[in-house]
Amino acid sequence: MALLTPTQMDALGELGNIGASHAATTLSQMLMGQIEMTVPLVEVVDLADIYKHVTDETAALSIFQMQGELDQGGYVIFIMPLSSAIRMTNTMLGMGDEERELNEMDESALTEVGNIMVSAFLDATAELLGVVMLPSPPVLVIDMAHAAVEQLLAEVAFNVNEVVFFHTKLSCDQYAINGDLVMLPEMNTLSQILELMDNLLKKHAS
Amino acid sequence: MDEEPTRYNAKAIVIGIGDYHTGAEPMTSIGLGSCIGLIIHDTKLGIGGMAHIMLPESGGKRDRLGKYADTAIEILMKELSKKGCSSKTLQAKLVGGAQMFANFSGNLSIGERNVEAVRAKLKENRIPIKGEDVGGTKGRTVMYCPEKGFTISIRRADGTCSEI
Repeated sequence: MALLTPTQMDALGELGNIGASHAATTLSQMLMGQIEMTVPLVEVVDLADIYKHVTDETAALSIFQMQGELDQGGYVIFIMPLSSAIRMTNTMLGMGDEERELNEMDESALTEVGNIMVSAFLDATAELLGVVMLPSPPVLVIDMAHAAVEQLLAEVAFNVNEVVFFHTKLSCDQYAINGDLVMLPEMNTLSQILELMDNLLKKHAS
Repeated sequence: MDEEPTRYNAKAIVIGIGDYHTGAEPMTSIGLGSCIGLIIHDTKLGIGGMAHIMLPESGGKRDRLGKYADTAIEILMKELSKKGCSSKTLQAKLVGGAQMFANFSGNLSIGERNVEAVRAKLKENRIPIKGEDVGGTKGRTVMYCPEKGFTISIRRADGTCSEI
């Protein structure tokens, strides 16, 4: 795989920034609290170094496949530590007990919140690119984040050794909730996205 | 990071996806999902190797030897024999190969295919399998200290630990 040029990295970063901002806004509305968002990182990560970005800590992952005009486009993942997930349900439903196990209610809240956030993320990026991108129905995994991501990598990176990894951290200090939004585009999708962005930049330049 | 107490041995060499290592140092593979942590140990010399296998078949690719079941076993055996191991005293254990969730594409479980490929390749090379913790739907972190013998520690997402 050809490495990305700095311009392409910037362009992808900006694209992700717009998507993540929309996702953060929807989260903020759902929690009725302020959300902080880190500047999105776009990195080309070697498979052997994925563990430096995604740990083996147990977390709740809502996983979506990007569908629509970009067929089997890769994945968007919303990762949340279990304690945050419980606090998120509590905040949304006005409950107080934090010392409990994750239950069905948390799972459905995670799925729904993930759904709304990732839809916002994809809508915003797709609108900019002028294509239709839809999230698949989500899959919820509660396990080591690295272990879940491995299975996605087996599909995305079967013939490459590096993946483009887009990563933003979202946090809500008010309720001590934090999560990570990760996008893992499939290589064909990535080149399609880059092409669309190149066209966009050219159009603006002329 | 180094000053924080980590739950896995900080001195262990972390074998990332598609990587491998041989020697006497402690080794670990964290968060094994559909991948396989393959450990080949020399009972006589007390050294061994670990590979973090991602896919069952290399299909002739030589770019990342630890990534595929066939090339990983080949390179571990080669490196161990360079370190003086005889293939007669080599033994294997494997961990991982879970199906974390139902695949979006509906493909057959990659974890299961990985397990089968590793077993077949070990059999072909006449390396006996001395222990397995494979399949299921949960992730595993694996730890191996060659100097302390051929005991593999496994930790799961719910915090339970076991040894094989």
